[in-house]
Amino acid sequence: MIHTPICDLLGIRYPVLQGGMAWIADAELAAAVSNAGGLGIISAMNAGGDWVREQIRKAKSLTSQPFGVNIMLASPHVEEVAQIVVEEQVAVVTTGAGNPSKYMKAWLGAGIKVIPVVASTGMAKLVVRNGASAVIAEGGESGGHVGELSTIVLVPQVCDAVDVPVIAAGGIADGRGIAAAFALGASGVQMGTAFLVARECNVHQNYKDKVLKAKDIDTMRTGIRSGHPVRVLKNQFARDYAKMEFDSNVTDEALEQYGAGSLRKAAVEGDNQQGSFMCGQIAGMIQEERTASEIIKSIMAQTEQIVTGGCPWVK
Amino acid sequence: MSTFEKVVEILVEAKDLEAGNITETSTWDDLGLDSLDTVELVMSVEDAFGVSLEMDETMQTVGDVVKAIEALK
Ligand SMILES: Cc1cc2nc3c(=O)[nH]c(=O)nc-3n(C[C@H](O)[C@H](O)[C@H](O)COP(=O)(O)O)c2cc1C
Repeated sequence: MIHTPICDLLGIRYPVLQGGMAWIADAELAAAVSNAGGLGIISAMNAGGDWVREQIRKAKSLTSQPFGVNIMLASPHVEEVAQIVVEEQVAVVTTGAGNPSKYMKAWLGAGIKVIPVVASTGMAKLVVRNGASAVIAEGGESGGHVGELSTIVLVPQVCDAVDVPVIAAGGIADGRGIAAAFALGASGVQMGTAFLVARECNVHQNYKDKVLKAKDIDTMRTGIRSGHPVRVLKNQFARDYAKMEFDSNVTDEALEQYGAGSLRKAAVEGDNQQGSFMCGQIAGMIQEERTASEIIKSIMAQTEQIVTGGCPWVK
Repeated sequence: MSTFEKVVEILVEAKDLEAGNITETSTWDDLGLDSLDTVELVMSVEDAFGVSLEMDETMQTVGDVVKAIEALK
């Protein structure tokens, strides 16, 4: 059996978090993951307070297990949503896209476990100083908004930098990845891309099909010019966008307008013409649609086999 | 189906490109493909046409690949 400090901290059976995914991770996916023994997370993305509250209540009706809400700090509704998670007594808050320090006192005061996503040791130290319960060290292999460092470089350095449990994210989708994360010092993992194709995930079928079909080199980063790189599947739209970024005749405004709403178009409409299909590099290893429970159970069984078998090179 | 059409089909299928954007004079750069993508293209082309291709500096465009295939067929 695998049991880590993350299981105790969050009251979950398996140390596996389903990452917040804007436009994708709703109450149904979160509840399915929590019912399977992991920690499901609803993505508040840029949504207004009413939607977030409704999703929280829906998740509560679907599971009695703890679940979390991912708050995007760049959201125009961040103040409102930050208050709603307190009112609704959510168990866990994860944060993305920025520094959550401003809100942490209120969340921690309400008994919420706060787990920021960090992409550097500096950010990890800062959020821990402000009371973070754990941190998610997310490498640039991930889907969505990404930092520079890779998971294998970032995770051990974050483990050395802070004294709270570290959750590794980015490029993990099987037992080998989790065993490696443990070897790097993490006591849990967060997966996004792997749960994109969960049966309970309501993303458009075209999106799932593209993730299932993707091979190792089928993702790229866009948004480099704006300083907010995003990892997406390579399609014509992503290539055109990347080209526009290097064209000095294209204004920042024109670029922003061109990309506006592209994740929603991908996730909700399955639109390959104008859609940004955010996805991690590990997509190449993801071959079939399975339930959240099947995903977690098979991955944990493989992890256990690997870590109890030890390293085959040690005699 | 012409060799060109078949190559376009391979590119569209493997690299999620729009067929309408691909012409004989399209360079890899125009299509946003890097050297790793062209390695895959060569392998797909070899499988589809049963030929063996050498990807070198002379192959810069879709048309170059088409010509190379036709020379070998
Ligand atoms: C489609 C997609 C959308 C995402 N949206 C968010 C988000 O809104 N907030 C956030 O903190 N992380 C977001 N992420 C990152 C995930 O929560 C998770 O950390 C990441 O997917 C882990 O890497 P992996 O994709 O290699 O498993 C997103 C990832 C994907 C694939």
